[in-house]
Amino acid sequence: MNCERIQECFIDYQSGTLPTADAAQIRNHLKSCLTCQREWSGLQETLLKLDRLPTPVPSGRMAAQFYAWLEEEQRTADAPNPFAIARSRLDALIASWLPARPLFQAAAGLALLLGGIWAGSHLLNEQPSPQPTPSAAEARLLAEVSDLRNRVDSMGQFVAYSLQQQQSGNRRLQGVLTTLDRSETNDRVLAELLNTLAFDPSTNVRLCALEALYPHVGRDEVRAGVLAALPREASPLVQVAMIDFVAAARDHAAAPALEELTRSLSIDKAVRDAARRALVQL
Amino acid sequence: MLAVRAGDLARLGDLFERHQQPLYGFFVRITGQRTASEDLVQLVFYRILKYRHTYRDEGKFSAWIYHLARKVAADHFRKHTSKAARDVEPEVVEALPDHSPKPDEKAARNDDLALMQSALSQLPDEQREVLVLHRFQNLRHDEIARLLDCSVGAVKVRAHRALATLRDVYFRLRRERLA
Repeated sequence: MNCERIQECFIDYQSGTLPTADAAQIRNHLKSCLTCQREWSGLQETLLKLDRLPTPVPSGRMAAQFYAWLEEEQRTADAPNPFAIARSRLDALIASWLPARPLFQAAAGLALLLGGIWAGSHLLNEQPSPQPTPSAAEARLLAEVSDLRNRVDSMGQFVAYSLQQQQSGNRRLQGVLTTLDRSETNDRVLAELLNTLAFDPSTNVRLCALEALYPHVGRDEVRAGVLAALPREASPLVQVAMIDFVAAARDHAAAPALEELTRSLSIDKAVRDAARRALVQL
Repeated sequence: MLAVRAGDLARLGDLFERHQQPLYGFFVRITGQRTASEDLVQLVFYRILKYRHTYRDEGKFSAWIYHLARKVAADHFRKHTSKAARDVEPEVVEALPDHSPKPDEKAARNDDLALMQSALSQLPDEQREVLVLHRFQNLRHDEIARLLDCSVGAVKVRAHRALATLRDVYFRLRRERLA
């Protein structure tokens, strides 16, 4: 070992923790090396002085403060939990209600059980009470509710019809065409067809509605509806078709309206001609 | 400590009686401040109680207590970074007890110890810590290595350098005193 390595081992050598062979090697080296002897001597003196430094002693204040703090901590730790206090009080209250002797406790338990069985069977078998007779105020209230329900139903039908009128021309035309396929047509359908003939904005739809009314040309209300729509009709095409409709029915009641058309100069000439032909047919 | 961990707080008093003086010495030699060291000892026991659930019965209790003490000292140094706060209090040296019969010898010895105390306080923190733990707190090199989270060899090298530095500083101070 060189001097540097020797000096690094001085601490272990000094504390006696070095292996015997290494310690012997250091001892032999120190006998001959003046530099390491000086280092060893200086280290010994330093350690001696260092170890002679007295151990600092704390004042009594430290222990007093510590034990005061520890006592406070213990008091805090020993302080009962408020939840535990509440629970113990509840337990004590329940315990005070219960009888002290086990025999009485069993009897109380049995009594509770029997009471529960009796109450359960009584409540389950209880007959439902009859419905009380409604008073005058209740009857009036029921009548108002019924009336309100009818109004709501009517409103719903009206809204449905309005929505139907909001459909496109193709859908309205398709609706009218379906009536052509029906073997039986009720008054409601006829009223809808007449309404369509009078007010539908589409010429094709009105023509189709008139076509659907042809099977019912024999009915007075149908012919009256067509005649009523004739003066309001703006399309010459539909006007001519309407005139042909009433002519086919041989409806004499239509004569005044037809004569009116023949005299009017504001309408189309084809319409006037059709009206004249119808009058001849009548 | 196992009893304290189990909730027997009164047993913390036993630990205090056993470790208060070594801990106080550790802090005085690390910080050089007596009054602050008493507070730091209190702080160590406060942390023992606070972190008692984290104590594992592995190795010596003294290693764990010095682990806490090092952290307390580090926090102290972080809070008091000014040089004045880290200077050695004069009374630390002056209060050293002396049993020398002759006044001259007593004065000379006190001077000598004061120089050594001053030299120790001038060491770098990490070197002073290793020396204090080994020479005063009587921890073995392997225990110090675990505490500092380094190898035993590194601890020995650090202790060797610390002693060399201490010797150089001590003799320099003594030369200055004689001059």
